[in-house]
Amino acid sequence: MVDPRTAARLSYRALFLVLALADLFVRLMPLSALPSDWPGPDVLVCLTVLWVQRRPDYLPSFMIAALFLLDDLMTMRPPGLWALIVLIGTEILRVREAGMRDLPFWGEWLAGGAFMAAMVLTYQFFLTLFMVPGVSLGPVLLNLFATIALYPPLALGLQWLVGLRRTATGEVDALGQRL
Amino acid sequence: MARNRINDQDYRGPVRRILMACLCLGLGLTFLIWRIDSPRVERFRTAFIDRVVPSMDWAMVPLAKVAGMIDTFQSYARIYEQNQELRRELQQMKAWKEAAVQLEQQNAKLLAQNQVRLDPKLTSVSGVVLSDSGSPFSQSVLLNIGARDGIVDGWATMDGLGLVGRISGVGQNTARVLLLTDASSRVPVTIQPSGQKAMLVGDNSATPPLEFLQSPEQVRPDDRVVSSGDGGVFPAGVLVGTVVQTRDKRFRVLLSADYARLEFVRVLRSHPEEKIEGAGALIAPPEPPVIPLVFPDTSGAAPPAVDSGAGNG
Repeated sequence: MVDPRTAARLSYRALFLVLALADLFVRLMPLSALPSDWPGPDVLVCLTVLWVQRRPDYLPSFMIAALFLLDDLMTMRPPGLWALIVLIGTEILRVREAGMRDLPFWGEWLAGGAFMAAMVLTYQFFLTLFMVPGVSLGPVLLNLFATIALYPPLALGLQWLVGLRRTATGEVDALGQRL
Repeated sequence: MARNRINDQDYRGPVRRILMACLCLGLGLTFLIWRIDSPRVERFRTAFIDRVVPSMDWAMVPLAKVAGMIDTFQSYARIYEQNQELRRELQQMKAWKEAAVQLEQQNAKLLAQNQVRLDPKLTSVSGVVLSDSGSPFSQSVLLNIGARDGIVDGWATMDGLGLVGRISGVGQNTARVLLLTDASSRVPVTIQPSGQKAMLVGDNSATPPLEFLQSPEQVRPDDRVVSSGDGGVFPAGVLVGTVVQTRDKRFRVLLSADYARLEFVRVLRSHPEEKIEGAGALIAPPEPPVIPLVFPDTSGAAPPAVDSGAGNG
């Protein structure tokens, strides 16, 4: 008999993995080679920040690093840099999570958005610093805004569909351990 | 006090921190190595994609087909307008067909008279598009042909009609095509009929701009743009698209290749053209043969240089 707590954790981890890989898969699908005028949201980053803010124990750090490194390799980005920045960003967010439990939803959204913006700007800064030919700031900012705008629908959708919600202050699990 | 509960278990904290540091160090080093020795890491990336993407093909092809079908189904909504449009186009096509047939006959006649040998080296390999670049900031597609099929970096690719891009990165079974729309794509082009040379500079938009035009006033919207073959990467004369002028008076190119439905792509096998090394030397009269025929007993001046070999007594 599997311990229900372990089972829940493993299933949520698996769910994240499936969602992330599905996102990568959809992006790689050869539907149209035309560049879009509006760069869509970066679903993977949004999903990661959401997951870390809601249930950090359901998303181990090495999984973030591995997924983003895979994403770097597959989507022709400089390998490692974006993965490193996301890893550090989510680590900081992970430590702060417990302190932000009593924030209302807009607070959570604001914090997530601020972290995503900080990560994207840091990434652009390092690209410039290392003189990597990159994209101009305009599309990057559009992409960032789209990602931040995706946060509420994604949060609501995941809350309704799979019950991914924030832990309340002082909430305990089935075994009475503090979450 | 709010603390991360993972840190409460005091034996896990330090171990975790060390592991995290190692992870960060590893990622940072990966980036630095890429920055220092990019070709080697890019080769690794190509080999990695070469292993991964073809194995995803079984799922990707049907899904892309279904998406294409949904796309087509949506177009049923305006089937009437489409029908009208197609009829109009058909009329125009008939006129063009007539012109083409006449030209073809004329061309055949002239070719027969001339025994012209058109460039026989320009053969092609066709491939299927496996996947997109997966990011809004880089424009490339992955083909299912690679080093196994003799694909070489730098070759031009086109769809049925126009230039698509250039091979950049060849794996054993796959090859990546850098599209003309990518921000790092630069292609020398000629604008016809004025014969202006320019660069087609990709900028992540659907219609890349023309830069370094010699005299923009000679360029009109709707002029044809073909590759110029400068730089020796692309064969000359491949259709790229037509010129359009934006509201800010810049010239852009409406690409002829159907980027919205890129499915089959032809890779043109271009062989390195013969290079002309250096400027032509001075054309001088043939050098006089060396002096062995001048004997002491002739005791006169040496015969004139021009044909000293012939008259020697």
